[in-house]
Amino acid sequence: MKILKYLTAAILAVTIYSCSSNETEILDGEGALTLKFDNAYKTSDLLLKTTPYKANETEQIKISKVKYIVSNVRLETADGTVFTYPKNQSYFIVNEEVISSQFITLNNIPEEDYTKLTFGIGVDQDKYLEGATGQGDFLSLAKDAGMMWSWQAGYKFMVFEGVYTSANTAEETAFAFHMGSHGSALDNYKEVSLDFTNSARVRVDATPEIHIVADVANILQGNTKFMLDDAAQIHVDGVKSPQIATNVNQMFTVDHVHN
Amino acid sequence: MKNLFLISLGFLLLFSCTKEEEEYVKIPTNINLKIPSNFPDIVYDLSKNPLTEEGVALGKKLFYEGRLASDGIISCGFCHEQASAFTHHGHTTSHGVDGKTGFRNAQPIQNLAFFSEFTWDGAAIHLDLQPIIPITSDFEMNETIPSVISKLSSYKEYDILFSNAFGDAEVTSERLLKALSQFMVTMISGDSKYDKVVRKEENEAFTVKEEKGFQIFNNTCASCHSGALFTDKSYRNNGIPVNPRFPEEEGRKRVSGFAEDFYKFRVPSLRNTEMSFPYMHDGRFGTLEDVLNFYTDGMVENGSEVDPILRKANGNLGIDLTQEDKENVIAFLKTLTDNTFLNDERFAEF
Ligand code: HEC
Ligand code: HEC
Repeated sequence: MKILKYLTAAILAVTIYSCSSNETEILDGEGALTLKFDNAYKTSDLLLKTTPYKANETEQIKISKVKYIVSNVRLETADGTVFTYPKNQSYFIVNEEVISSQFITLNNIPEEDYTKLTFGIGVDQDKYLEGATGQGDFLSLAKDAGMMWSWQAGYKFMVFEGVYTSANTAEETAFAFHMGSHGSALDNYKEVSLDFTNSARVRVDATPEIHIVADVANILQGNTKFMLDDAAQIHVDGVKSPQIATNVNQMFTVDHVHN
Repeated sequence: MKNLFLISLGFLLLFSCTKEEEEYVKIPTNINLKIPSNFPDIVYDLSKNPLTEEGVALGKKLFYEGRLASDGIISCGFCHEQASAFTHHGHTTSHGVDGKTGFRNAQPIQNLAFFSEFTWDGAAIHLDLQPIIPITSDFEMNETIPSVISKLSSYKEYDILFSNAFGDAEVTSERLLKALSQFMVTMISGDSKYDKVVRKEENEAFTVKEEKGFQIFNNTCASCHSGALFTDKSYRNNGIPVNPRFPEEEGRKRVSGFAEDFYKFRVPSLRNTEMSFPYMHDGRFGTLEDVLNFYTDGMVENGSEVDPILRKANGNLGIDLTQEDKENVIAFLKTLTDNTFLNDERFAEF
């Protein structure tokens, strides 16, 4: 009885295997793909407002806002074929407070096995300098989401806010890091490239989901360490803003790909 | 010859066919921008936003539209008045909705097609995107873009204006901003006495005082206030004392985030300067005499390096000018007043 079971399983396996290896798939259709942005604090899920986190040796934070602009998505296959998502549809705002914003579905993606994802954080100067033509509706979206500065006509690429306490600051005190480009003086748009451990198989009838984890602890403790007691408000800083941009860029990893 | 005739006939037939079948859509009339011969090329990219009579007309309507503001009153034209070279007459710093004041002096709206950065500190790097600052700033028009769009969509008159300019009545932020830009792009001031003199038109000539002033200006001012636009478009610190009333003012540093940009401001154009008083980023000086007295005696170290051009051989700050020099420079500056522009009905509210 047992033997029979194994035998059937083996035969089945062989048939399935031979099927898929004999017929080379013809990939000429289009499918969809979902990017899931999952904000975390180190190894835990990120919870806003209620939960204290250790920002560094001496400072604790509670986070109230995490928002960033994701743009210019490109997908790459193992053999180096690149698919660039249409630029004018390739600007998104991920907001920890809005769950739907954390799932970005990309349509009309050529069927392929993709192994690498590249995206930008923020808005590149090329798009910006197209004026009203380039911004289209994204301008209103960003304005609505609080992702534009009120005193300058520019996008905030990343917003990170909350309160903190430390040995020197007993009372909960607000902190806010806003990062973007500085007019023509400084371009803070940077791109992230992430390799997948298993490929994302886009098919007409299969929509893979790329589960991206963003460890927001990296904003304060990345390449550059920021002490909130030194500066709790960093909005436009010629030296620190690019460092924040680098920390933000390095906070992303691909956890896994669901096929 | 015969072929050509047949082809044209074919086209005619085709053309008449389509015309009959299609619904009548008004085609916007393209306009050519006239650029004064002594001016540089424009930098605004018209290929992305071609100028049409209908687009400009909509832009003008919007520029004078109080309903763009939350109180229904404060239009762009409220702070940018034609008779004052489109600045806010009689105000050091402009005031907007609910009488709230900002900390900057309104700038003239003129020759903006020749610029790629805007405001005193470069807070906008595309003309199309500049208006979102006043529309949404709480001390200017205090509105939101979606609310402006829904307000405009509800006014019948805008149905027609948007349709004429863009083919259908839909109001979008892109169209709103493009129309405003179209209007502002046409606002070119290049017909002052100075222009006529340099273009050798109408036998126009400087008086002796103006000519002397022009020489002094070229020697002492034109390194910053240079070229046909009277600005090199750079951000510079001219040694203006910090205004204690506005501690938030940082000049160019506010945009760049670099400490060395503290109290640097974009060198202003001096066209129509006679009419655009008060002067400087905070409107602190009421007259051109005040400005020249500042350049001779009023400069100070103000927290970042004052532009080296303004340092004398002995290390002191300032420009040496006699009383007579000052009068001559002012006489010259007044030749930059362009009455054609200041009275041009194409730009007038009524
Ligand atoms: C409450 C007064 C006020 C209103 C209303 C206002 N502005 Fe202004 N405008 C200003 C001030 C003040 C500045 C200088 C801003 C700065 O340097 O921060 C300015 C600067 C500008 C500039 C930059 C000019 C240059 O040379 O760089 C443009 C363009 C402009 N405004 C267009 C507009 C338009 C279009 C509107 C209507 C949508 C408008 N403004 C409404 C006060 C106003
Ligand atoms: C080193 C560059 C530099 C030089 C040289 C210079 N200026 Fe200026 N000028 C500026 C800057 C920068 C401002 C704006 C400062 C501010 O707003 O605080 C300015 C402002 C002005 C204004 C006010 C304009 C307005 O619309 O508010 C006038 C008028 C003026 N300058 C005239 C002159 C004259 C006349 C000379 C020569 C005697 C001169 N400038 C030399 C840089 C310069």
